[in-house]
Amino acid sequence: MVKYLLLNFFRSKVHPIGLALLLVSGLISLEIGSRFLERVDRVSEKTAIHQQESIARNVSYFNKEMGNLMYYLRFGLENETPRLAGLSIGQRDVYPSIQSLTVRNLEEQRYATDLVNPLFQLLGNMDFSFVLIYLFPLVIIAFGFNLISEEKEGGTWSLIRSQAHSPLLFLRLKLGIRLVSVLFVLLLLLITGKFYLAIPFDVPFLIFGSVSVLYVLFWFGLTWLVVSFQLSSSQNAQVLLSLWVVLNLLLPAGINMLQRWFFPVPEAMSTVIQNREGYHSQWDKPKEPTLQKFYARYPEYQSFLHPKEADFSWLWYFAMQQAGDDEAAVEVEALKNKLDSRVQLAKSLSWWIPSVHTQLSLNSLSLTDLGNYLHYLEALEEFHEKLKAYFFPRIFSNAPVLDEDWSKFTLEKFRDQPQVNWIQLMAPFGLSFLLIWVWAGYNFKKSGIQSIQKH
Amino acid sequence: MIEALQLSKSYGDHLALKSLDMNIQRGEIFALLGQNGAGKTTTINCFLGFVSPSSGDALIDGISVKSNPQETKKALAYIPETVMLYPNLTGIENLAFFSSLAGFSYEEDQMKAFLAKAGLQETAHLQRVGGYSKGMRQKVGIAIALAKKAKALFLDEPTSGLDPKASNEFSEILKELSAGGTAILMATHDIFRAKEVAHRVGIMKEGQLVSQLAASDLTANELEKLYLKTI
Repeated sequence: MVKYLLLNFFRSKVHPIGLALLLVSGLISLEIGSRFLERVDRVSEKTAIHQQESIARNVSYFNKEMGNLMYYLRFGLENETPRLAGLSIGQRDVYPSIQSLTVRNLEEQRYATDLVNPLFQLLGNMDFSFVLIYLFPLVIIAFGFNLISEEKEGGTWSLIRSQAHSPLLFLRLKLGIRLVSVLFVLLLLLITGKFYLAIPFDVPFLIFGSVSVLYVLFWFGLTWLVVSFQLSSSQNAQVLLSLWVVLNLLLPAGINMLQRWFFPVPEAMSTVIQNREGYHSQWDKPKEPTLQKFYARYPEYQSFLHPKEADFSWLWYFAMQQAGDDEAAVEVEALKNKLDSRVQLAKSLSWWIPSVHTQLSLNSLSLTDLGNYLHYLEALEEFHEKLKAYFFPRIFSNAPVLDEDWSKFTLEKFRDQPQVNWIQLMAPFGLSFLLIWVWAGYNFKKSGIQSIQKH
Repeated sequence: MIEALQLSKSYGDHLALKSLDMNIQRGEIFALLGQNGAGKTTTINCFLGFVSPSSGDALIDGISVKSNPQETKKALAYIPETVMLYPNLTGIENLAFFSSLAGFSYEEDQMKAFLAKAGLQETAHLQRVGGYSKGMRQKVGIAIALAKKAKALFLDEPTSGLDPKASNEFSEILKELSAGGTAILMATHDIFRAKEVAHRVGIMKEGQLVSQLAASDLTANELEKLYLKTI
């Protein structure tokens, strides 16, 4: 039976065209991913070289005062991009992959981002995850919406029912062929992507593949559920396309709205203002309180003193910069917590929405989600503290600039690890499969096309 | 072989079948006559298991359709009024597919023999069904039924739309099958064909079998008069 189902499947023009469409758009998405990774690599390489050159140049100009030099020097921390990000670019196109920091106040530097072509932001990237989440379901719908109704409308259904021991088995095989053909294209794309983008064959890649397969299974399941109601072809198509719009467009937009509604972040603006006020106002204030605050924050520097009656010292200057960060600290914490709450909200809601769950999972595995960016922001904080801890004593004691081995300050990398929680990854799919299985089974049983066991 | 026991089917308030009793022996051809809506198709659908009766039972080879549909399905074959097939498959492939649904697997020669016996010209065997006429599809339908080697054959208006020659060939095949022991229930509007082929003729009206008689007792004209009087 399978042989003839296959013949029939491939002889109709719709199916090979649908599969070819998926394949071509998938290959284009791999090319887009490859260009993205190339750009990231290029930026990383250039930044590393630029950092060395810039340090060397500044050292040659400003080698009298350590404090003066450190006003200018920038040190980069790269948010390392895994190769997997080529399949799911996520928010990496908006957030910078490298931030270069001075030891001055952090807050002003932290959110300085690359310039992004707004046109790309508008359209988003047609990366592999886009093709998977938006285009695969459309082809699955086209393949399955008339699974039963085409037999009824084409007049073959009565003959099938009278011939087949189990019409349900026939339907399962028919859908199974469609499933296998789509999975074949998916696997072909994943394997091509693995080699084309040089993605390591590791646990995150395997999970990425599994989630993709589960997502395809979900849409086949949904199609199976819809056809189990045995409506007409046009009704099935309407229902399935509506589901596509709801699951892939409306609900994600709704979640985005809820995130903004529940966790508005006025702190984004006020942090910057407070930070600026925090240190700019110091110029007009007596220097002693600023220094006292600084000593309270870093007792280890108490031995360094501001020269009495002096208008300026690097100790006071960096203490004043620190005051800016300290002033904004509460707001910064609030901002981070709220962004984290947004991530958590989306995660919780996605339990019930497989499309959103898939997008979040793929981005999280590829380290291209907001969660990764928040980790990176924290890493930047630590990096900044580390720089300060190293340079502050040298600045305050005005250590000789030329005694320092500047070549050791290369571009540093922050390597985030995807958090793999199997239950959280698989359970939402499990839930939807269970619902579909029970509901569709009930529908088929009610309509009399039930599975008939062979004796 | 084909037996209805007080078979009734209602759709809401409407009674489509009212306590139908009927018994068709091995090798017997029974023609059901009646107007549209008289209950002929419902009767056949009850035997096929497409429709579950409200009360009473339909039996095939002594087995109840209601309680053991998978067994009765093995024993029956069905040719619908208009045989629809897969246009992208050839005649032979369609036959092979529908036979495989029923669990049969035939060699190409055997399938060609079935098609030839059903009267399909050999040049058409390897052509796609998309280009077939209604009569040619009907013949593939017959071949599918032949290949199932069923004990009971159900036909719903099998000759409607067939040209006289094809109809005639079809009658011959039915006679052959009946000689081989197949019990045949045929719903039809074609009084002449019914008289020609069937051993017995039943006339249905409003869900009831109002008269049953041996086809040999009457001429076609007498049968037509009786039919018009009955309905």
